[in-house]
Amino acid sequence: MIVDTDKAYVLFPLGEKRFALPAEAVTELARPDTLQTFPHRTPLLAGVLVRRGRIIPVCDVAQILVGPAAPPRKFYLIANCKLESNQQLTAVPVTGECELASAARAPLTGSEPQYISGKLVLGDETVEIVALEKLISTEAAA
Amino acid sequence: MKGSPKSRAQAVAQAAREDVIVFAVGGFRFAIAAGAVKEIRGMEGLHAFTLGGISEQIGKLSYTLERDGTTYFVIDAAKHFGLPPAHPSRVMILRNAVTAVLVDSTDRIMEISALHALPRVFTHEERSWYRGLAVVDGAVVPVVNHQAFLNKSELDVLRAGLERVRGVVTA
Repeated sequence: MIVDTDKAYVLFPLGEKRFALPAEAVTELARPDTLQTFPHRTPLLAGVLVRRGRIIPVCDVAQILVGPAAPPRKFYLIANCKLESNQQLTAVPVTGECELASAARAPLTGSEPQYISGKLVLGDETVEIVALEKLISTEAAA
Repeated sequence: MKGSPKSRAQAVAQAAREDVIVFAVGGFRFAIAAGAVKEIRGMEGLHAFTLGGISEQIGKLSYTLERDGTTYFVIDAAKHFGLPPAHPSRVMILRNAVTAVLVDSTDRIMEISALHALPRVFTHEERSWYRGLAVVDGAVVPVVNHQAFLNKSELDVLRAGLERVRGVVTA
C-alpha cells in the first residue's frame, strides 16, 4: 500500500545501504573538507566544518544506521535540522554520491526505530527515511 | 541618540571583538578571555593536593599554589576536558577566582572578531565548558568558560571539605 503522494528525497549511501532525507531539508552536498575537532562529550558528533564563515556540526549517523563497519565517508550532506525550535545546519558524512529521487512513501511496520520516519520503495530497493532531529536527540539523550 | 544602521552594525562588530590567550592541552588548542587570566607562570611552587573525600570527588584538582597570600586550586585541564594525561608546563592563574589551570603551553594574545555560539547539537558538558567557538588562523578553537574549571558545586564541595579539615584541626 502506498500512503503518500510523491515527494522529492535525497538518497545517500552508507556502505551497502541507502537512506533518504526529504529534499527540502538538504542544502548542499559538500566535498571532503577539513574536519575540525575539539573535546566534547556528545555522542555521534565528529567535529565541525567551517563553510562560508559558518560553523557546521558534523553528525556521524553511520554509526547508528549501519554500525561501526561503515566504510570511510567521502562527502558531507548538509541539511537543515530543527533542534529545540531552531533550524540549524548539520553535516552528515556519507560514503558516496547522492541521488535526488521522487517516490511515494510506504507504510512503516511499527518495528522501526523512532528515527525512521518512513520508507520509500524504489524498484526492488526499500530506502528508509531518516528523521535527523530524532536520531540526534535520541542519541544525545543516551 | 540613535546611531545610523551602519554605526550600529560597527558597534556590534566591535563588541564581538575580544582579546584571547590561545593555549594547548593534549594536542588541542583552546582560547580563554585574556581578561580572565591574571598571570601565566611555570610549574614551580605547586603542592600536590591530596585531601581525603575531596580528591576523589574532584579528580581534576591536582595541586594548590600559594601566591601573594592566596591559595589557588590548580585544575588539570586535560582531566577537566576528559583528555588523556597531557604534558603540562604552564599554570594560568585566573583573575577574581581561587582557580588556576594547568595547561601544556600558552600562545600569544590574539584578537578574535566573532564568537560563534556552540551549535545546539552539542548537548553535554561542553555546553558549560565553552562560551562559544572562534576561528583562529582558519582553525576552530573553543573559547573556554573560565568559571567552569571549578564550578559552584565543586567549590561547595571544596569549601565543605576544607571546613571539615579545619574543624578536625581545631578540635
